Amino acid sequence: MISPLATRVPTAPDPTLRGAATRDATISVRGLRKTYAVPEREAGAVAAVRSLVRRTTREVPAVADVGFAIAPGEVVGFLGPNGAGKTTTLKVLAGLLHPSAGEVTVLGHVPWRRDRAYLAQITLVMGQRNQLHWDIPVGDSFVLNRAIYRIPERQYRETVDELVDLLGLEELLPKPVRNLSLGERMKCELAAALLHRPRVLFLDEPTLGLDVSAQRRIRAFVAEYNRRHEATVLLTSHYMADVEALCQRVIVIHRGRLLYDGDLTGLVARFAPDKTVVVELAGDAAPELDLAAYGEVVRRDGGQVAFRVPKAAAAAVVGRLLAELPVVDLTVEDPPVEDIIERVFREGGAQGDVASPPDGAAAREPSDGAVAVPAGVSR
Amino acid sequence: MSRLRLVGVFLRLGVLNELQYRANFWIQLIRSLVNLATALAGLGVVFSQATTLDGWRQDELLALVGVYFLVGAGVNLVFLPSMSQFIGDVRKGTLDYVLTKPEDAQLLVSIRRVDIWRLIDVAMGFGVNGVALARLGSDLGPGRAAAFGLTLLAGGAIVYSFLLALATTAFWFVRVENILVVFQSMYVAGRWPVGIYPPWLRGTLTFVVPIAFAITVPASALVGRLDWPTLVGTVVLAAAMLAFSRWFWSVGVRHYSGASA
Repeated sequence: MISPLATRVPTAPDPTLRGAATRDATISVRGLRKTYAVPEREAGAVAAVRSLVRRTTREVPAVADVGFAIAPGEVVGFLGPNGAGKTTTLKVLAGLLHPSAGEVTVLGHVPWRRDRAYLAQITLVMGQRNQLHWDIPVGDSFVLNRAIYRIPERQYRETVDELVDLLGLEELLPKPVRNLSLGERMKCELAAALLHRPRVLFLDEPTLGLDVSAQRRIRAFVAEYNRRHEATVLLTSHYMADVEALCQRVIVIHRGRLLYDGDLTGLVARFAPDKTVVVELAGDAAPELDLAAYGEVVRRDGGQVAFRVPKAAAAAVVGRLLAELPVVDLTVEDPPVEDIIERVFREGGAQGDVASPPDGAAAREPSDGAVAVPAGVSR
Repeated sequence: MSRLRLVGVFLRLGVLNELQYRANFWIQLIRSLVNLATALAGLGVVFSQATTLDGWRQDELLALVGVYFLVGAGVNLVFLPSMSQFIGDVRKGTLDYVLTKPEDAQLLVSIRRVDIWRLIDVAMGFGVNGVALARLGSDLGPGRAAAFGLTLLAGGAIVYSFLLALATTAFWFVRVENILVVFQSMYVAGRWPVGIYPPWLRGTLTFVVPIAFAITVPASALVGRLDWPTLVGTVVLAAAMLAFSRWFWSVGVRHYSGASA
């Protein structure tokens, strides 16, 4: 899926590239911070009425300290739980928000100045917000975007043909958006967002709510687009499948701070200190057995039991299981990336509560792929 | 030039899309006719009791009705639908897509929606004005025509600026759909010359909701009742309001990008 042609940074980014704004990076972010003033009121009618007159606000940091650099043609997955600051960062990059502090350049422009030359080279797609108008045919929305981006006739024809071909839009163009399914709509949204052949794509949950086959289609398309046009892609998603299929590199943020920046396999190695051991037990033996003695039982489905076992102890546990239980079948696997990510968030978050690194220094501390993780987390 | 083309594209697509719904044409035509009939019946009632209203003769007031239709049609043709879409976009967060386009956001926001059926009202407005002029038996010389055109444009600019400024408050208050309804109901008051209203309302319609400049002034120009100071004042006010609304808009956009989630 991923192009051999596209230039990439080394998968374990070297610290100079990560921390500093390198000149040849497409996207460079340093010390980004963004705080919102959020209106604050207690629940209840009285408080609601009072807040009409006097609003008390509270400063909430959405992004506390984030820095990274992305090379031309890279596809980077941007991960984090809800409220981690992913969308805020994306919006800063797309020029929609002024950051509270930090330096950001994309394609050599400062995004929030919103230079025409900059906006003509980027695109923003948000899975939960449509740009296509509900009542007019998809093709008309394309024509409008053509006029707005001032795309020359020939280039427009070529691009539309290419997108129609890649996404299978032929029959969708004359239909009003309201008559499209969610998956069809997303394909059209993507096409409309790419008519001007942007060099940088910001995709915020592009597969949100789609069924598996539609997700796969969108993924394949993004990969193909990246390959053909060497576009730089920064993508957020809740579906790890998106990230696994598209991104060699992931940036994980949590509570507005960088938690990890490196390749996906490194993330697994670093944050999965456990193996999952799945055994299939014979007959009805399972219910009466004291399974917890072998390890943490994470799933139990009839005769099938899954244990989480520390990596170092895995061999011993397997031996004991085989010797002591009526085992029919046994497998040892790495936990799904999904679980690992969840674990990273949970532990990273808990750690953050206890002791956040002083002035975010740890966020830029070079280490082998993982950064800003207080030592206790990665056992 | 390419901006004009952009306006053209929006208009053309609006026309093409609406033409699919032929039933709508008849409904809209009937709606416009009912509006016209109501306005004319109002005139009939007044002039069965009096010969002039605040110094306006019957056929002069007919011209005012024509201008009322013209300006109303202009506003409803693009500005009102566009502004209400803009307010919706702020609420839904889809304004982000406007702000990431390499085009002036104020322009995009102002022309995005076109309600082409209001072109019926434009035609009707010109028709009524033609009849009024014919009945007045007066010749529309080039000077008066120019003054009419100028004040009509200025009036349109004033109403546009006013609407833009109203809609811009969405950046702070988010739910302001009703603000446009307030404007529409005030606009109905423009069917009569502002001189007939009590001073407090006259003041409101002149300086708060500037209906007076949008309707009474161009109508005065059409029937030859306009004096120079009013003409100059209207043009100056239009320029000032355009400048103000643009400034206010840019403050709103800055606020949006500074604070919104």
